[in-house]
This record gives sequence, structure tokens and C-alpha cells, in this order.
Amino acid sequence: MVKTADVVIIGGGISGVAIAYNLAKKGIKDVVVIEKNYLASGATGRCGAGIRQQWGTEMNCRMSKYSCEAFETLKEDLDYDGDIEFKQGGYLIISSTEKEHEQFKKNIALQNSLGIQSKLLTLDEAKEVVPFLNTDGLISATFHQKDGHLNPFHTTQAYAEAAKRLGAQIHTFTEVTDIIVENGKIKGVKTNRGDIATNVVVNAAGGYSQLIGNMVGLELPVFSERHQILVTEAVEPILDPMVMSFSLNLYCQQVPHGGFIMGRGDEGEPRDLRITSGWHFVEEMTKTITRVLPPLKNVRFLRQWAGLYNITPDRQPIYGPVDEVEGFYLAIGFSGHGFMLAPATGIVIAESIIGEKTTLPIDMLHINRFKEGNLIFEPSVV
Amino acid sequence: MRIEEHPILNFKRGKKIRFFFNDQEVEGFEGETIAAALHAAGVKSLSHSIENHRPRGLFCAIGNCSSCLMEVNEEPNVRICVEELKDGMKVKTQKGKGDIL
Repeated sequence: MVKTADVVIIGGGISGVAIAYNLAKKGIKDVVVIEKNYLASGATGRCGAGIRQQWGTEMNCRMSKYSCEAFETLKEDLDYDGDIEFKQGGYLIISSTEKEHEQFKKNIALQNSLGIQSKLLTLDEAKEVVPFLNTDGLISATFHQKDGHLNPFHTTQAYAEAAKRLGAQIHTFTEVTDIIVENGKIKGVKTNRGDIATNVVVNAAGGYSQLIGNMVGLELPVFSERHQILVTEAVEPILDPMVMSFSLNLYCQQVPHGGFIMGRGDEGEPRDLRITSGWHFVEEMTKTITRVLPPLKNVRFLRQWAGLYNITPDRQPIYGPVDEVEGFYLAIGFSGHGFMLAPATGIVIAESIIGEKTTLPIDMLHINRFKEGNLIFEPSVV
Repeated sequence: MRIEEHPILNFKRGKKIRFFFNDQEVEGFEGETIAAALHAAGVKSLSHSIENHRPRGLFCAIGNCSSCLMEVNEEPNVRICVEELKDGMKVKTQKGKGDIL
């Protein structure tokens, strides 16, 4: 175990390894990632594997556009031998209420103004994208061809291997037990395998970010919530895009392997760190999805799992330093979409730590926005 | 050889029935599984591996391993080792992962 580091990143999910890669690429020598389990064992490896640019706030649109463009060349840029299973089959987002349809118009105007070529579709046009879509009760849809799929495990591995080649160290099965702060400055981290002296700590702990915040005496404005998900048996490809609805509370995508991955939220979910699976979800999910996509009645449900959304009040991430503790940086609160924002997270956090001008402006995502109260809410989250 | 004893399924042999394997008429018995009838008829290759298309035969015989997935009455991915044989059934070797449309 190393004794000192320039930067210690807590969390070996996609955000942590993307930050490590970008820091190492910028010449920071001793970058150390500490992961209490294995890489992508938390929310990254449990997510729906979707990437989209169809968001309802400027920052989410800009970060996801930057990230999606990065994914297009990621395999080559990271020189990865495996297949990250990048597929741009689009996202078809369907509306089922007038209010939602109105929101879609605003979202499309915003997305188009930022260079995202999404379109508002009639139901007939939506059926051209997914011929077996049951449009009963639906009003309209939006579609963006460049949205799609990416394998979270391979993508994490690709970043991790690239970071290691540049000199970063990744310690899995190592748990941070405390953070040492002296006179308001980060001095080191304690782990179950020894202490590391450092002046910079990045909290990229996903669903456990509050616990890491507590270690430096902060109550971070985030909470964690279980979200469940299931996968079916693999069949021949029949569904290109991710089909998603906020009002019907669902998302469903056929991944390259052939299985359908789908999930939905639950309003009654307690705010805790449980990641257990429940039968109630399976019943609600299968009932809902077979109404919208009837051929799925012919596919067998295979298995289910759950992961933690780390949620902020405005459903946008928290990036950058904090006023209270010098050297403590946040890359947290992704509210269910941290995987797809990883390239943006990696670059802006690295730039923020080094003190460079950030590729994307992140002032609006600073934690102080919650004190100041000028929030812009993301309406488009399942 | 005909499978007559099974650790979890009961094979109560009923009357002789006919079914189709890849459009060819085959005999079997009521009360046995599709796999048992195919095995007795000398059919050992049930499915093919996804990547290299190598033949796969009866393996776990209790519905766990997916080595015997076949198309039955146009439904893909049926575990024929635990599916009861019915008169007139159309059993086919499945191509690929199965078309559900």
C-alpha cells in the first residue's frame, strides 16, 4: 500500500477511474483510487447502461453531449482491447400526459439550441422507430439517434487500464475508514489497509458519498435511494432504441447481447443504502413494459438486481471543491446518470483540481448553489 | 435408450403419440418430456452455441443450463428437458437466439 499520494480518489466506479485517467494524463504522478469492493461494483455496474443527450437542463445537455462525443472515440482514445459495446440506437422518449408533451417541446427547443439534433415525433413517426410500440394512451415522443448504449463494466475497465498505464494506482477491496483534516485542510485518508498522506481527496463514492462527506464533517445535500432493474433472456435483436417514459415511469433497452434491461423508480422508496431486490418491482415492471412493448410478453424474465441513485434536490451532479475543507473535491449526486456523464466528470474534476479553466463551466454545479437557492431543476429523470 | 427415471420429474408413460422434429414425424409417449422422446429417437444435438455454433446436447436435464433450448410450436427458447411432450407438437432446432416477433 502506498504511503503518500498527490490525489486520493474515493470510489472505483466510472467517475473515479475517469477522474484518475484525466489527472494522470495531465501529468499528476501519484494518483490513487481506493475502492472498497471491485471496480464498477456500485452504481456503475448496476446501472441501465444507457447514454442520452435528451435532458431538460442546460448543464445536463452540455455535459451529456460532451460525454457522448467522447464515447464515440473512447475505445481508440483509451487504447482498449475489449469491446465497450457502444451502440447508437437512439432514445425514444414517450409522453402520456399533456403536461409532459408541453415539457417535451421545451426540452427539444433547449436541446436543439445546444446543438443536440433531437426531434419531437408524432405517434405515427414513433411507430416508424419502434413498429410494435403500443401507442394507446400516448401523446407524442422525442427521439435522438445519437443516444444509446455502452457496457458499464468494459467502459470502467477501459478507463482503469488507461489510467494505470499512465501511472495511476487502483486499490480494490480497500475501504476508506476516515479522512484526516487539520486546520481545515485535507492531510490524508485512513483505510483498512493502511494510511495515505495526501492534500487532495476526491469524493466519487456514488451512493455512499454522504458517508465520505461525514468523514470531513460535512452534511452533503444528497440522499441515496434504491432503484431496481431486471434483465430478460437474450433473443435476436428487435428493439434498436432505449424506450423511456417519465410519466409511465419506465426505461427499457435491448442490449447488444440480446437481453432486455429495464427499470423504474418507486415513489415509496425509503432513503437508505439498501440494494435488495423485491418481487413488487418485478410485477410492476413486467406489467408496465408489456403494455407499451407487447412482444416482450414472449421473453422470459431472467434476473433482477438493484443499485443506488445518489440524488440531489435539482437532479444535477455536484462538482468541484467545498468552502469548508481545503483539498476536498466532489463528484457526486449524479441522480441516476453518472455513468453517461463520466467523460465530462473526468475532465472537469481533473481541471478543477489542477486549477485550469474547465472545459465546461461548472460554476452552476458547485455545492454552494444549494445555499444560494438558485436551482434549475432537471425534469427528465426516471 | 429411453429415459424413464428422473430426479425431479415423474415419467408416467401414457399412450403413444406423434410429434414433429424439424418437420419429420417422430413417435413419443404421453407423460415424458420432449427431451426424453428426442433422445429415444436418437436426436442428441439439441441446440448450438451462440459464438461458435458448436452442437449442444442434453446436459443438466432439470431446466437450468439452457443447453436444450429449442423452438416448440414457434415459441423460441423452450427448455425441452422439462417441457412435457404433447400430441402433434412441432419441435424445431433453433437458429440464433430466437425471434420473438
